[in-house]
Amino acid sequence: MESEVRSMETIKATVESLDEKYFIQIETGEEQIKIPMSEDKPNEVKSAFNKLIARIKDGEFQIELEEISDDLFSQVASEYVTQLNREIQEVYGEMEHYDLIKD
Amino acid sequence: MKIDIHTHTKKCKSGDAHTREISPEDFCETILSTEVRIIAITNHNVFDLNQFKEIEAGLGQEDVQVWPGIELDVQEDASRGHLLVIVSPSRVQEFSDVVEELTNGHHPDNFTATIDQILLKFDSITPLYVAHYMQKKPNISDNAIEKLVAESQNPSCVIKEVSNSISAGIYISHGHASIYGSDIQDWAKYEELSHDLPDLRLPVDSFEHFCLLLEKDQITINTLLDRKTSEELILLPFDDNSSLEIKGFNDINVVFGSKGTGKSCILKSIAKHYSENGIDTKVYESASDKLDDIFDTKGRDLNIDLKDYGIDYCTNNVNFLRTVGEVDVTSLSKYAAFFKVKSKNRNAKKILLRDIDPEDESGRKREFLDFNDATKTTAEFLKFLAGDQSVQEELEEEELAEVTRILSELFARLSRRESTKFSEWKEVYLLNSAIKIFRSEVARKTGTQAKPTTTGFRDYAMNRIEIEVNANKIIQNAETEIPMQCEPLGSLGSDKGDLEFRTEFQFQNGAITDGTLASLKGIKKGTQKNFVNRVRKILTHAYSDDLFQHIAELKAIEDVEDIDTVYELLLFRRYFALDGHQYSPSSGEASMVMLQKELGTDKDVYILDEPERSLGNEYINDVIVPLIKEHALAGKKVFISTHDGNIAVRTLPYSSIYRCHDSSGYRTYIGNPFSNNLINLEDDKDQLDWKMISMRTLEGGAEAFGERGKIYGDN
Repeated sequence: MESEVRSMETIKATVESLDEKYFIQIETGEEQIKIPMSEDKPNEVKSAFNKLIARIKDGEFQIELEEISDDLFSQVASEYVTQLNREIQEVYGEMEHYDLIKD
Repeated sequence: MKIDIHTHTKKCKSGDAHTREISPEDFCETILSTEVRIIAITNHNVFDLNQFKEIEAGLGQEDVQVWPGIELDVQEDASRGHLLVIVSPSRVQEFSDVVEELTNGHHPDNFTATIDQILLKFDSITPLYVAHYMQKKPNISDNAIEKLVAESQNPSCVIKEVSNSISAGIYISHGHASIYGSDIQDWAKYEELSHDLPDLRLPVDSFEHFCLLLEKDQITINTLLDRKTSEELILLPFDDNSSLEIKGFNDINVVFGSKGTGKSCILKSIAKHYSENGIDTKVYESASDKLDDIFDTKGRDLNIDLKDYGIDYCTNNVNFLRTVGEVDVTSLSKYAAFFKVKSKNRNAKKILLRDIDPEDESGRKREFLDFNDATKTTAEFLKFLAGDQSVQEELEEEELAEVTRILSELFARLSRRESTKFSEWKEVYLLNSAIKIFRSEVARKTGTQAKPTTTGFRDYAMNRIEIEVNANKIIQNAETEIPMQCEPLGSLGSDKGDLEFRTEFQFQNGAITDGTLASLKGIKKGTQKNFVNRVRKILTHAYSDDLFQHIAELKAIEDVEDIDTVYELLLFRRYFALDGHQYSPSSGEASMVMLQKELGTDKDVYILDEPERSLGNEYINDVIVPLIKEHALAGKKVFISTHDGNIAVRTLPYSSIYRCHDSSGYRTYIGNPFSNNLINLEDDKDQLDWKMISMRTLEGGAEAFGERGKIYGDN
């Protein structure tokens, strides 16, 4: 019997800096999601999370961080994305349970 | 139970239609398809004994009486008319012999007999004579009938056959005993035609019994009345504490008399009697101005159970939205702080647990909950199987044991999986808790930032998901349509149609502005509307940055605390409708509606005080009288105080209580239409003629007799 398992999509992310401000930039296709790392901006993080949730509705995915170096923000981004991937998986499971994933 | 004293089974005369011919089998089948339970066979100048016996045998197992008879051509005083001669089935052989002897050698077309010949031949076998009268052609002259009455040994058994029920009533009101039969022309139409045949108000056991009723034989009538369930009521209806003893039949009991003679007091005391004996009873009085109160059109006591329509009250969901708050996310500076200062503490490095990543806990929890649900449901079903009578009746013992065995096995396996899943969930929970505590402790002891265990995304997202799920549930339930409730109230007459009382329920959907809809729980309509619109906004903005602005607006709605469930979002409209359109009944129609509601409610005892008030004769005849009769037939007790002849006469009450007043004081008479007398309770020698009193006292009394006032026949 043919398997109907959907392959999980991978979304690229990079550590970007602008005017000495660092952030994780996630490329979801339609729009960029930016998570500030060098400043405490919870509303911007929440806004980024909202976009991620909306993206989960389209299907499960994992974020892959590219061009990781040894600098502080690369380490932060790496750890953050690792945790985020695990949590995206959990949230996807929950949304699937409530039938909130688009067909 | 209907009676037909005039039928034909054969084409005897050349002028008879061939459609009068019917075989014994078809005859039996036709009669059994109707409510006719007494039928006389009266062919023209012929009696066919063999055919009669075939029919009698065919109906032998059924509750149908067949009476032998003949329709004779009578020549008297130079006029020719028809006379039915009907006898008891027990005398059929003698009857057949007499007919044979009388008609021998004559063709039915040519046969005639005189009254003298008929009396000579038939009177000894005590027949019932039914003479064609007036409009029933060819009729017997008054002289010939008088002779029959004068010379028969059973004068009460001479009755007149008229053309229809109206004629029958007219003649009986003038002292003529009369009846009518089908005189069937076409058996194909008999079933339909039988609906108009006379009903027997009293049960008639036999031909002889019928004749005794014609004589108004008191013992026979009392015996029949005694067969009916009744009870003695001892009442104290009047201020002077004088008692009144009456017999209340499980049938129609009428109280009549002039105004101011205490009829309402009697009804109230009857109601009191039954209430004291545990039967919830009250006197119905027409009050057309209270229609809105009686039907609660304002919905003061209106409620509805949403579960009956598969609608959830959403109590938890509403409460959740009213109390939910935003979930914070982990500050990224904590990550930066962690990576900036690497721990130099050797002991801290040994605690490897702090570097382990937490695991997915919610997935494990969901798996456990799924098995937990399945285990519980299986256990409940096993319990149901063990205790349900229907299941045990349907399944054989072995089958039930097999089903129980399989389900028990399933239950055991599910329980094991449930335990395993619970352990797995709690293992992860313990692990994650340990990681969190160790990290926090290491940070505290070393004074360095611990690595955050979560970005906060999980909890943040879960909160939003929960908001969406709750808002969606409220909207979905509030969008469920509730079917309109229609209470049929009956007919307002053939020219108007059927009236019903409607109750419509509708949830405020955020756009309803219809002023005819009222709030069921009295919540302000603006509050309802704002609430629904805010919930809709919350739903569409569940993953937007401004979600909590909408939630704040919801919480700020004036009187929002009054809305605890979707029930508080209900609107309703109650109204009367005629043939589907909103309608305001007039005062008379309001009376109709209330009386029909009263009679449409299932009760053991109905007590109606002047139900005819504000109602037209046609409505009383066509709607109310049949309803009252229906209750009587079902063995209900119906007590009616009335001034209306249509009710007091046409229902042929088992008991009539007549109240009157003159200079000597109040008197109470009790009687019935069958014996046609009313007896003074204090002096049994003081007797009144039931028919005469009814005609004199009741409005439309004479007309009521004019139509249908027969003791034995009524339709």
